[in-house]
Amino acid sequence: MIKKLAGFGALDRRTFVTTGTALGLTQIAAPFLVSARGDAPIKIGLDNPLTGTYAAVGKNELIGIQLAVDQINAKNGILGRKIELLVEDSTSGDAGTAVQKARKLIERDNVDFLVGNVNSALAQATAQVSSEKGILHVVPGGHTDPITGTDCKWNVFRVCNTTRMEANAVSNLLFKTYGKKWHFITPDYAFGHTLFQACEANLKKLGGTVTGNELTPLGITDFSAYLIKARSANPDVLLVLVQGNDMVNCLKQISQFGIEKQIHVAGTQQELESVEAMPPEARVGVWMFEWYWKQAAGTPGLDQFVTDIRKRSNGKVPTARTWFGYVAIHAYALACEKAKTIEAKAVAKTLADMELPSEIKLQPNKSYFRGGDHQLMLSAFIGELMQNGDGDPENLFKVNDIVAGDSIAPSVDETGCKMNMPA
Amino acid sequence: MRPSAMLQLVFFNVTNGLIIGAFYALMAIGLSLILNLSGVINFAHGGFLVIGGYLAYTLTPYLGFWGALLVAPFLTALIGFAVERLLIRRLYGRDPLYSLLLTFGLAFIIEDGTRQIWGANGLPFSVPVALTSPLSYQFFFITGYRMFMVATVAIVVGLLFVLLRYTRIGVRIRAGTLDLETVAALGVNVRALRSLNFAVGIFLAGLAGVLAGGQLGLEPTMGDGLLMPSFIAIVVGGVGSLTGTLLGGLLIGVASGLTAVLFPSASEAVIYVMMAIVLLVRPQGLLGEEGMFT
Repeated sequence: MIKKLAGFGALDRRTFVTTGTALGLTQIAAPFLVSARGDAPIKIGLDNPLTGTYAAVGKNELIGIQLAVDQINAKNGILGRKIELLVEDSTSGDAGTAVQKARKLIERDNVDFLVGNVNSALAQATAQVSSEKGILHVVPGGHTDPITGTDCKWNVFRVCNTTRMEANAVSNLLFKTYGKKWHFITPDYAFGHTLFQACEANLKKLGGTVTGNELTPLGITDFSAYLIKARSANPDVLLVLVQGNDMVNCLKQISQFGIEKQIHVAGTQQELESVEAMPPEARVGVWMFEWYWKQAAGTPGLDQFVTDIRKRSNGKVPTARTWFGYVAIHAYALACEKAKTIEAKAVAKTLADMELPSEIKLQPNKSYFRGGDHQLMLSAFIGELMQNGDGDPENLFKVNDIVAGDSIAPSVDETGCKMNMPA
Repeated sequence: MRPSAMLQLVFFNVTNGLIIGAFYALMAIGLSLILNLSGVINFAHGGFLVIGGYLAYTLTPYLGFWGALLVAPFLTALIGFAVERLLIRRLYGRDPLYSLLLTFGLAFIIEDGTRQIWGANGLPFSVPVALTSPLSYQFFFITGYRMFMVATVAIVVGLLFVLLRYTRIGVRIRAGTLDLETVAALGVNVRALRSLNFAVGIFLAGLAGVLAGGQLGLEPTMGDGLLMPSFIAIVVGGVGSLTGTLLGGLLIGVASGLTAVLFPSASEAVIYVMMAIVLLVRPQGLLGEEGMFT
């Protein structure tokens, strides 16, 4: 909203004043302490959205993080020291605020470990700060490739997958089952561009064609003009690459126009937060989830995790976001225990290529932070959305396949990452 | 692309733009009412829209969609009435910057309040099945729901114009827009008039919220993306003129629809360009009167 106000010419000065005041207030607000026990606690700073477009996913990551912190503290903390969690609202799209909060957490609060951000751009901006200060940093949810690619850093690790991994997870399947003419609805910013390029490259390799790519501004409410164009191009598949509220709006309008009855609707990344916000008729298509709570029986620790999260989220099931937050904290704690120190370089070296134990990874395939680019190799859950669940109204996604992360990730060379581990 | 196909696409998008424009107009007219009589630039209008949508969602299980459509806007108007009484009225007569700051803050409070009450995640709001399907295969984008939206907007706007033209209150509101001091000097209770007028404006926001909830995901920031086009509709149509606001809403709908065909990435920017052109060529807006709010 703040960004949009700049366009309202007659109010420029006022807008400036109001925006400034609003930002000022958020700076004064103190972080709330989630736990503060023990003599010299290990401080973990979270710099993630709690307001704005990404508030829902940001809050789910927080729930996962809090669960992990409480579990670790209940078992005497990390190396005998309790964890103190400091939470800051990075906003959903204001890089200036996110960077300020990161600086505050690192310089004033002296955190030992930084977690953030859901928004790719904010994740990249805050990674500059953490790497300048030499603080270990886990990105729990920004997908754009450079974070563990061309911009990779020794202190930065990422839990969620890259856009290339997303594209690779579904391309072959869509081509084989639905056809070779693809049309895209792409969000017009870094995440969307890299995701589209990855899908386009895969499609060309398979011998298909792109009938069009509708670049839509972030936060757009009405997709009808783009859908009119997409349908008139007569593709086999309509790939919806937008995320969050845009995804909800787009699929809702697709189903009202009846487009899913004429063209196969699909996409790469889909999130439970979005699906829960859609009316049943809009839940259509083949997608990839980065983690899903209902898997084949026998995944160790999964049932307990679902139960624990329900207690903290008004009975709701965990989403991929909850899991991201949970993994970020547990992986850090585990690496500290293994390295027998919390010194950032030593922990980073331990974290690289460290395999996650089953009660943390909560999925069948091997899961580890790849040493070459610090990207977590997490499974892709491929399947179809279900309108009302099969007898279970909370189960909205039918998992057909769980593909190992390292089978869909491009090689470290291809990512463009040149990791410089300091001595 | 064949010329006939292009022509069809343009025709589709003009029709589509009119549909969207009708919605912008509904929001903008509510904003315009409040701006005209109270001089308040209501930045919280999007927030009231969200309240309307969420109330309808909560009421639907008890009253059904139709009941919620009738009741939710009234409840929203009631909240608006209270807000005017408690907060906004204290700032009349001061620099408009004060009420701007107040409503700007209010917008944030409403957004986070909604998040506290209904949760940060969006909620699935469904419209009756009878309205969800397209009217024809060819004109798939004209769904029953969108026709219903346009009809509702037409009826409500029609009623509003009748109210303003033929009732005593309406005449007073219009007179107050032109010269509030004289109206007050003639013995009209201006405070009550402003409260009522504010509530009517918020009623329209609440109604827009229920209608939007059927098309868009219901979530706390839903109003943000709809607020700016509504402001622009007012500026383009002319501050002070409700007919102008209606025209402005329809125009920006069509303009963004057409741009989506020709220069897709500019479809959002085009409405700002339109506003800039109008401000340069005819600063009072298409149907605005000179000297109004300048």
